[in-house]
Amino acid sequence: MSETHGFNTNKIFGALLFLTIAEVGWAYLPFATWALWGGLLTFAYMKGHLIFTYFMHMKFEGWIVKGLMVPTIPLMLIVVFANMPDTAKNDLMVYPLTVQMDAETGEIVVLDETERAKRSPGYKKKLEAHGEEVPEGVGGGH
Amino acid sequence: MSSQIQAYDPEVDAPAHHHPVYDYDSGPPVDRGKFAIWLFLATEVMFFTGLIGTYIVIRTGSPEWPNPKHILAVDITAANTFLLITSSWMMVRALDAIQKGDKGGLTKWLGFTIIGGSVFVGVQVYEYIQLLDHGYLPNRDLFWSTFYAMTGFHGIHVCVGVIWLFCVWIGAVKGTYTPQNYVRVELAGLYWHFVDLVWVLLFTIVYLM
Repeated sequence: MSETHGFNTNKIFGALLFLTIAEVGWAYLPFATWALWGGLLTFAYMKGHLIFTYFMHMKFEGWIVKGLMVPTIPLMLIVVFANMPDTAKNDLMVYPLTVQMDAETGEIVVLDETERAKRSPGYKKKLEAHGEEVPEGVGGGH
Repeated sequence: MSSQIQAYDPEVDAPAHHHPVYDYDSGPPVDRGKFAIWLFLATEVMFFTGLIGTYIVIRTGSPEWPNPKHILAVDITAANTFLLITSSWMMVRALDAIQKGDKGGLTKWLGFTIIGGSVFVGVQVYEYIQLLDHGYLPNRDLFWSTFYAMTGFHGIHVCVGVIWLFCVWIGAVKGTYTPQNYVRVELAGLYWHFVDLVWVLLFTIVYLM
């Protein structure tokens, strides 16, 4: 048995192992998105709490060390949620995943697989190797 | 009379502005190294908050997002997560060993921790090679950009941790650490546990959600 600062290290490790297995299993269950994500975040929080409290000894530290970490919580919330109205919740900035800005024209274009292939230098070389005419804009290097 | 002369008399030898002379450390009642490492970890929390927070914001704003369970190797990464947690446990065992005066135990458990961290990095590199071979480049789309950014920076932190632990291990082999002098082991351990903690969150958010 490994006793450190009054807690059993092996028990904590066993709990982390169990939570990891349970978390991966939870991820594949046919739950609604909110239940799935809620469960996953709960598992992550429990695992993180065990590591932070026991492995990092925060439970046994004084107020100075604990005080060092307190400001990070509101700062984290600010960083994540403060700019959401301007980015994630801004209807003017909602584009499909494969949308990119054309470096030459500056316009927003949707790059599917065909369009992406056309813009690669390799496609231009392929056309040239087959003696085909290279259309304008092909091989832009995106 | 000369035997009554003191080497230092505060009333006579104190500076002219008569500030009191202290003979104790007036710093915070906590080890300087521990104070500094926790301060550093607080900055690291903000660093990863920037990365993970950006991922959350971008994903929330995207009308479509691939299901990572269908693209990424969740099974291998789950095993890798367990490996990193195990290495964190072994680091706790290493610190426990030196606190009890077991220098051999410190060397052994530190060595296992280093091996665990190295294997973790190796598996990550293997995963990167497989993904890049399939054409999943960082500039493919936002999913892959954020994936490589978050896991890449975490991987760099793991590499730094492995190197740091190796330096501590060299000291352990030389017998530098004692039950009265093991703060360097503790500081390296705190960084390693933090790296593990970040991966627990990354694995959940990037691979499972």
